[in-house]
Amino acid sequence: MSQEKENIAIGYRKQFTKRVLLLFALTGATIISFCVDIAVGPSTLGFTDVLKTLFSKDSMDLATQVIVWEVRMPYSIMALLVGASLSIAGCEMQTIMNNAMASPFTLGVSAAASFGAALAIIIGVSLPGVGTEWMVLANAFLFAFGATMLLQTLSSLKGAGPEGLVLFGIALVFTFNAFTGILQYMASAEALQQFIFWSLGSLTKANWESIRFLLIIIFAIVPFSLASAWKLTALRLGEDSAKSFGVNVGRLRFLSLLRVSILTAGSVSFVGTIGFIGLVGPHIAKLLVGEDHRFSLPASVLSGALIMSLASIASKAIVHGAIIPVGIVTSLIGVPVFIILIFNKRTK
Amino acid sequence: MNIKISKLKNLVITTLALVIFGFNAPAQSIVVTDIVGREVKLDAPAKRIILGEGRQLTTLALLHPDPVSIVAGWTGDFKKSGGLLYEEYLKAYPAMANIPSIGSSGKETVSTEQIISLRPDLAIFGAGSHGPDARSADVIRQLEAAGIPIVFVDFRLHPFTNTVPSIQILGMVLGQEKKAAEFASFYNRRMNHIKGTLAKHPDLPRPKVYMEMIRGNVPPGSPGKGNLGEFIEFVGGTNIGTILPGEVGTLNMEYVISEQPDIYIATGIAVPGEDGLVIGQDIYAYQTQQSLHYLASRSVVSPLNAIQQGKVYGMWHLFYDSPLNIAAVEAMAKWTHPELFGKLNPHGVLKEINERFLALPLKGVFFAELKQ
Repeated sequence: MSQEKENIAIGYRKQFTKRVLLLFALTGATIISFCVDIAVGPSTLGFTDVLKTLFSKDSMDLATQVIVWEVRMPYSIMALLVGASLSIAGCEMQTIMNNAMASPFTLGVSAAASFGAALAIIIGVSLPGVGTEWMVLANAFLFAFGATMLLQTLSSLKGAGPEGLVLFGIALVFTFNAFTGILQYMASAEALQQFIFWSLGSLTKANWESIRFLLIIIFAIVPFSLASAWKLTALRLGEDSAKSFGVNVGRLRFLSLLRVSILTAGSVSFVGTIGFIGLVGPHIAKLLVGEDHRFSLPASVLSGALIMSLASIASKAIVHGAIIPVGIVTSLIGVPVFIILIFNKRTK
Repeated sequence: MNIKISKLKNLVITTLALVIFGFNAPAQSIVVTDIVGREVKLDAPAKRIILGEGRQLTTLALLHPDPVSIVAGWTGDFKKSGGLLYEEYLKAYPAMANIPSIGSSGKETVSTEQIISLRPDLAIFGAGSHGPDARSADVIRQLEAAGIPIVFVDFRLHPFTNTVPSIQILGMVLGQEKKAAEFASFYNRRMNHIKGTLAKHPDLPRPKVYMEMIRGNVPPGSPGKGNLGEFIEFVGGTNIGTILPGEVGTLNMEYVISEQPDIYIATGIAVPGEDGLVIGQDIYAYQTQQSLHYLASRSVVSPLNAIQQGKVYGMWHLFYDSPLNIAAVEAMAKWTHPELFGKLNPHGVLKEINERFLALPLKGVFFAELKQ
């Protein structure tokens, strides 16, 4: 008996070490990808020049300074931040909704945020007292949160299984897309152009101000997600088991959805809609480290950041000198990774 | 083969008609070959026209003294992108508010049923346009089946070869050949001056031009190989956007900086209070200067030669799809090769067009040079 216990303990320690190592590996890969991202560009500027410019800005000419500080760094950092926030939002959503298909994009949260943003960009409508520069963000958050609360209400109804939730989410996607379509139909050319560009999802909108803001959001929100890791893992075992562990499930759900809405609204209002990360980031993380949220949450942050960073490289590298909107590239980068992981798991 | 036969048939019919009715034919029918090579027959000059792109009202205004009176239906794009010019037209022609809409500004929004129900005697579409165009096979088939003739014109896909023939086609279908011929000769004379001067200097250096099509406060698009990119090359410049895969795309600012363009040109249609390049009808020079100044002071463009040497210019965007493109060509020639074209006066060209052709004169700022 004690032999068995010891075996379990050894197995657990082994697994624990393996997962920690995997987290380190993901961190390493993300750092490497980031370095490549800031080293790659259509000019001849190499990695060492970039480093020089980063550490002694004034020793380089104006063109180099601008390329490094205003072009490469904002794009690359924004890629990491957006990938991280959408991916962890997706991870929490999948657990809370108990549904592998849940993500801000598939369940209509992004579409709702987009509609809110469109209201701000095209009509200029927001809550009273919100300044013009915050309108897009405020609206995006308001509608994202409204949509998650609707989803939550539905998922707590009796008889609404996981399929019901996905169907309702799809209904939200189409409803909000239709609303947005109506706004686009009425928009002036100038506002429409702005909105179309925005809805494509592009890192070229990144600047230091939006980076600072998203960084604040992430630092304010993600620690709470990580602190809820135990409770979320307990919820994975089923609502009743979670309750028996003393978890206040209602409160956990509400706070978690609040976090999801803020993270989604934050990234959507700074770079537009990017669909793929929130669904696939967490799946990649879970395929690597399993369902224990102490690992899957940080792994989601890392895998999301990594995919977006790779997508950022691709968006610059596909056509020399041009930028392909990153929203288009993300799927092309993420899908192969995803498929490889699924098949690896099968063969095991 | 079919075309040949039908051409022959038409020739025979026309000749027969001439023989039988002589020159006293009661209703003289009009036969034109449009810009995509289709032969189109009208019983009489068109009086109820569908505009596939609402903004082409300003083109009709070159040839017809009361352009609004002959429009039976149009797309909503003029209202969306015309800015204060649209307001000016509305003031001059209040009836414009009642022109039925056949759709918003995208091809997919156009209702063929609405077009047919308006009983037009002609539809004018662009060969490539925001509205229905030469690729809109369904719309073409349905309208032809309903007996509504369609004439394709083009100021956008190949502005330099198609503008004059398009104006001549419009002159014929509107019964305004004389005015069309006058405009064509005015246009050709000015164009030939630029072409001829450049031909005399084959070894001229071709300055690099970076053009931004400004739309609100999002990162701008730049022209690739088509349209405005063609303008740049035509006036003896090098368009750094030719690397773009499509007609329009986003350039990596890093690429722009490493190319070091000599000339910066912004295009826009914003009105006061909007983000972007404020320029066009009823705009004051100081408003354009303010917005151009803001564009030139962004830190991403600060290292460009063009910015540092003050070669910063702005232009009304809608020249790209209009026979008024001649004024844009003159402006761009002047900016690109001041040593050859320094004396050209693009606002003067617009003034002459106002006096000789336009039913409603353009007034405001359509070109600008940043003052330091």
